[in-house]
Amino acid sequence: MTHLRIDNARVIDPANKIDEQRTVFICDGVFSDQCNHDAQVIDAEGLIACPGFIDLYARLREPGFTRKGTIATESTAALKAGFTTVFCAPDTNPVIDSSATVELIKQKAVAANGARVSPIAAFTTGLEGQLLSELATLYDAGCLIAGHADHPVNDTGVLLSTMEYASSFNIPLMIRPFDPAIASGGCAHDGAIATRLGLPGIPVAAETVALARLIELCSSTGCHLHISRLSSARSVELVRSAKNKGLPITADVGIHHLYFTHEQIQHYDANFHSSVPFRSTEDRAALREAVRDGTLDAICSDHAPQDNDAKLAPFPSSAAGLSAFDAFAPLLFGLPDLLDMPLMNVLAKVTTGPASVVAPQNDNPTEVQTGLLDAGAYSLEVGAQADLVLIDPKAKADLSVENMVSLGKNSPLVGLTSLNELTGEDVALNAQVMHSIVAGVLKG
Amino acid sequence: MRRSDPQFNQFNKLHHFLSIDGLDKATLTHILDTAEGFTSVNDKSIKNVPLLRGKTVANLFFENSTRTRTAFELAAKRLSADILNIDLVSSSTKKGESLLDTLRVLESLQSDMFVVRHSDSGAADFIARHVAPTINVINGGDGQHAHPTQAMLDMFTIRRHKGAFEDLTVVIIGDIKHSRVARSGIAALVTLGAKEVRVAGPQTLMPADVESLGVSVYRDIDKALIDADVVMGLRLQNERMTSATIPSTGEFFKTYGLTPERMRLAKPDAILMHPGPTNRGVEIEASVADGEQSVILQQVTYGIAVRMAVMSIIMGHGEEVREAEMNQA
Repeated sequence: MTHLRIDNARVIDPANKIDEQRTVFICDGVFSDQCNHDAQVIDAEGLIACPGFIDLYARLREPGFTRKGTIATESTAALKAGFTTVFCAPDTNPVIDSSATVELIKQKAVAANGARVSPIAAFTTGLEGQLLSELATLYDAGCLIAGHADHPVNDTGVLLSTMEYASSFNIPLMIRPFDPAIASGGCAHDGAIATRLGLPGIPVAAETVALARLIELCSSTGCHLHISRLSSARSVELVRSAKNKGLPITADVGIHHLYFTHEQIQHYDANFHSSVPFRSTEDRAALREAVRDGTLDAICSDHAPQDNDAKLAPFPSSAAGLSAFDAFAPLLFGLPDLLDMPLMNVLAKVTTGPASVVAPQNDNPTEVQTGLLDAGAYSLEVGAQADLVLIDPKAKADLSVENMVSLGKNSPLVGLTSLNELTGEDVALNAQVMHSIVAGVLKG
Repeated sequence: MRRSDPQFNQFNKLHHFLSIDGLDKATLTHILDTAEGFTSVNDKSIKNVPLLRGKTVANLFFENSTRTRTAFELAAKRLSADILNIDLVSSSTKKGESLLDTLRVLESLQSDMFVVRHSDSGAADFIARHVAPTINVINGGDGQHAHPTQAMLDMFTIRRHKGAFEDLTVVIIGDIKHSRVARSGIAALVTLGAKEVRVAGPQTLMPADVESLGVSVYRDIDKALIDADVVMGLRLQNERMTSATIPSTGEFFKTYGLTPERMRLAKPDAILMHPGPTNRGVEIEASVADGEQSVILQQVTYGIAVRMAVMSIIMGHGEEVREAEMNQA
């Protein structure tokens, strides 16, 4: 195994509340307090060293949709975002509902040599919302969490038994609250802008009604529930109150939702067509406050690469989703100023925050397997698995199409150096990931 | 990049006619004044003017239409243009060809102007952004978004019968939520400075934050009609009955139907408009549709002059672009 010595970095370790200038040693895949003298040395002057980011929700599109993205392209693009671990959405073809598919993805990921790919198991077969997947088998195969992508579970009975079953094995469930009957084919936030543009709206109630149902089921089953990709102020309130009651609930938000609102769709820009709609300025303000106060534990990419043709259609017929990896790091580093939060607390939302979501809930510490995320001890402590990124926070991000690593060029940030032009908020797009280390191995 | 309004060309002139939104009062008034000049053409025995001679206008209708398509066809003919009617409802789009591919093929037919109708909101905007810069696009109705020539012919009708907009109370009744006619009509009335625009209908037929369009909302049609100068009915689409938005046509007529009794709540000289086709006994009683206050048929007639005005104005602006391209080449 390689030995690495990283000199002169500003080391930020949210788990231990450390922010200091020091040397980082990595030996045999784990952090160490020394190294042998033939270690590879990285001079990290001016760089920030922190635990590698964990993305709780990204679509890698393989197997099944390799026109939009492959495990190779997207896990490499993930490194550029600062992610060393990416939880990939189960809405592939075939769906991630069998250990064979999990194995396929893991093999492709190892060959790709990018970020660690951790598949999210589909908790019903084929994401059809009817029959339970083999959750315990999928967990053993390496799925630390089970979810349902953007597919609804219409049958509340199925949802109840899924939560009962998952809680029997301490498997957390990740669910995006969404009631398709209320959304009724909508494609934008149901508000003044959609009304003016004649776009079918997605009412806030499509999220809150589904969320209230999930919270009640969580309360009756005790299942660890992770609420994925919230969009509205009212949902934030529901999660806050559920957490205050002590329910085992965590939640996240996609990074774009901390920046954009429905104002951005004014001229039918299909790059802002997102399955989780951009809502009002008040909703965005509530999401930001929830990141600050801890109601939201994590920030995910909600990465959705699309091929060009999929976006070349009138807004309602265009494919939903934003390609997020290439602009993720600059957006993340824009948050401390925007939210008036210390950088360490922002970094916690992509490190310890998501780690706590997937960390084993039982008392038996799982054996650290190389290749699996060691979510239970996610820090720079000596002995912890060495997932690390080195970031230059001042380097200007190059968001030209030619420089994009993701196969999906569908980012509204392409060509920008500041968000001012889009949102009127003066956020410069700076930060570049210089090195990524996954389980002690230097990538790229 | 922040997107701008695609309706204007590099000389900041109206190059496409996609939506009333984004147009100022002067532009709308200019269209109405130009249309006024064309009404006399339509009254003559030889009804053609040579303004668009040698130009080709293509009607691209991705959605069924008889009335609007015919009106555009007649307007183009009276301007001496060649007209292509392309029925896209039953054509290549059904075979899986993308909208963009279809556009490229139609561009190669060397048309100067596209009149488009499509079931997606924003389709006209999309087409305008992707056609060759020398082509002018007119929105003949896109999804639930806009039907700007209908709005302009409605404004023309109102101005002819009522004069200035400033003192007018206009009531729009029925399915506002799904109506592009209502959206464009409201935008035009607000821009032209109507005193009050009221909308009346059940909440299931109102879009979210409808007040943000600049209207006052009435649940009670009888209150909405009091002292109205202009009453606009809207077509209630049959598919609304299957989607739990209203229980039955009978109940809709009972609660929001335009009856002679209700019309008496409006000012005695109020006019009654409807974009057609009317559902008699659903949103309007036959005696009202055919009554003295009805200007429904005049609306259709004025539609020709208004569309001639829009076509000639933007084709003129298109000429500037075409000349600029020629000079560059």
